Amino acid sequence: MFPNFRHTMAWLHTWFGLALGLVLMVVFFFGSLSVFDREIDRWAIPDTRYEPQPMPSFDKMLTPIFKEMQPDAAARAMTAPLADGPLPAHFDTPRSWGAYTTHRDPVLLLFAGYEVPNAKDHETAIWANRTVDPRTGEALPVDRLKIGSEFFYPLHYSLTFDWKNVGYWIVGFSALMMLMALVTGVIMHRKIFRELFTFRPNKSTQRSMLDMHNLTGVVALPFHFFFAFTGLVIFAYIYFPVTHTQLTPLHDRHELVESKETGLPHDRAGVAAPIASVDAMVAEAQRRWAAKGMAGDVGFLNLTHVGDANGYVSVYRAGTDRVQLTGEGIHFKASTGELLREDPPPTVVARINEFLTGLHLQHFKHWLLRWLYVLGGLSGCACIATGLFFFVEKRKRQHAKQGVSGARVVDALAVTVVTGMLVATLCMLIANRLLPDVMPAGWPLRGLMEKYLFWGSWLVAGAHAYWRTASVAEGRLAPAWREQCLAIAVLAVTAPVLNWITTGDHLLSTIGAGYWPVAGADLFMLTGAVLAVLAARKLQQREARPLALKNVALEANHA
Amino acid sequence: MTSTTLTPRHIASRTAVAILGGYAFTWGVVALGIALMYTAGMEFHDAEHLSYIIGFLVFLTAFLVAFATQRLGKMALILVGGGAAMSAVAWWLQSLIIATGV
Repeated sequence: MFPNFRHTMAWLHTWFGLALGLVLMVVFFFGSLSVFDREIDRWAIPDTRYEPQPMPSFDKMLTPIFKEMQPDAAARAMTAPLADGPLPAHFDTPRSWGAYTTHRDPVLLLFAGYEVPNAKDHETAIWANRTVDPRTGEALPVDRLKIGSEFFYPLHYSLTFDWKNVGYWIVGFSALMMLMALVTGVIMHRKIFRELFTFRPNKSTQRSMLDMHNLTGVVALPFHFFFAFTGLVIFAYIYFPVTHTQLTPLHDRHELVESKETGLPHDRAGVAAPIASVDAMVAEAQRRWAAKGMAGDVGFLNLTHVGDANGYVSVYRAGTDRVQLTGEGIHFKASTGELLREDPPPTVVARINEFLTGLHLQHFKHWLLRWLYVLGGLSGCACIATGLFFFVEKRKRQHAKQGVSGARVVDALAVTVVTGMLVATLCMLIANRLLPDVMPAGWPLRGLMEKYLFWGSWLVAGAHAYWRTASVAEGRLAPAWREQCLAIAVLAVTAPVLNWITTGDHLLSTIGAGYWPVAGADLFMLTGAVLAVLAARKLQQREARPLALKNVALEANHA
Repeated sequence: MTSTTLTPRHIASRTAVAILGGYAFTWGVVALGIALMYTAGMEFHDAEHLSYIIGFLVFLTAFLVAFATQRLGKMALILVGGGAAMSAVAWWLQSLIIATGV
């Protein structure tokens, strides 16, 4: 684009980095929180604060629950346009029953898929979900939102904009731009190794922001590249639905060949058949894993073609002992319990793919590695945030002289996504502790209210950010940063205190009992409060500094 | 940072070629990759995953080259034309496989 290649790369880095950096900030932050999504669920739903449980008895507990599960109003509304005419009042033919848990989940997620008799596409299924206490089989109230796994986690990969998958596309494009920013960043800075050891906190704000941007970008470069890349690979089927559009015939042919090879029926036989003891099949699967020397907890249990002569039961292992997503699935004929198939060892390509996706999705049991993920993610946030700061610092005095508002708008957006996002997150957790147990009639469900308050407080933080960045237009530091840091400090202390008041689980008791899901969440917030206070004090000093000191000449080798 | 050639129209055409052209080309790579590797005897989902992994690296490269190149028109032709050609070959391979009926 420019005569000079490095010049072009710098332009790309600056402008696409700025536009998508705002999205990437959200993706990186909620990705970091998602590492501990199940633990955040425990904090938000105090009724589920007990130890993770093994898969309960299928025959005694789960079968009766599955039999009474029916799709809720939301699922019906989503499926209605896919059918000719109105949906039946009751769905009678279950296509599959599934039960899923992890080594960090005390609760068990159940899902039942039903055939839709009048569907336009015969493959359409309608789903019913339920979360149960595996000790008693009791259902969790439907108005409880699992804030970690059902809100922060989806924010990470789809921004929760589900309409036409728009959120997935925005995040996907941002991930591609993250890769672009890493490559162009390396091209811009030839002295990569030196960046690792360069941080000059006492130079001008602009200089130290750039040092920090380079440092956090370079230190975690492989981490950033890997996560952006594997994130794309995980959702590749959405971004490039080749095998469900252009190559559908090939895909369908493969499915038929596969079902012939594996002996697992592709379709129902149309002949009703009873279900033999699933517990016995689970025991047999565990015996087979043990014989191979593998940890034998069941992660995922699935019945396909329920109640049909072609029905089969698949038992998958929870892959807690390795990075790859593994299953070592063992399949039984549902009506007799006869072994149909044991999944063969994965091929080389499958191994690579399982490693790539497994490293991103981290089902393993390794707490140190989990914390390294959080640190890697937060260093990504720091890298993006300092990139935004640098953009503003570099331009604000020039913009002030020219009387244009570019730097101010960017600064307001930066405040909104950096500190405003933290304010919104904490407000949601506080709302979670303050809202009544059951919302009064006429109000949205409790979980929905929490989401509204999240978006509402983010909007307020955005408005405050725009209002209190006016001084950037005069070339000065915006007070919005300091004020929102103080807000974060107050909110991040309020949430743990409210947790104590409403549940009795204060830090001394949770740490004393070694109950880390809740203790960890509280400690994480309190640490955040301390950092926010330190940041606010530092910002106050900078605000007080005379303007002339900041006008330090800079090396001109940066974009 | 300013350049005489940097008009909004210039930026828009670069961006369009980089994103849309890159997408079309990558689609072709993924489709052809799956069809070729499956024909060569690779397991279907393996062929799919490997094509995706290669595809995103191709997309990234195409995006950067579209901005770096001096001849944007030629680049657009290569990306869109190449993507269409690869998709066409994938289609043809698919029809061959389906026709054999194995």
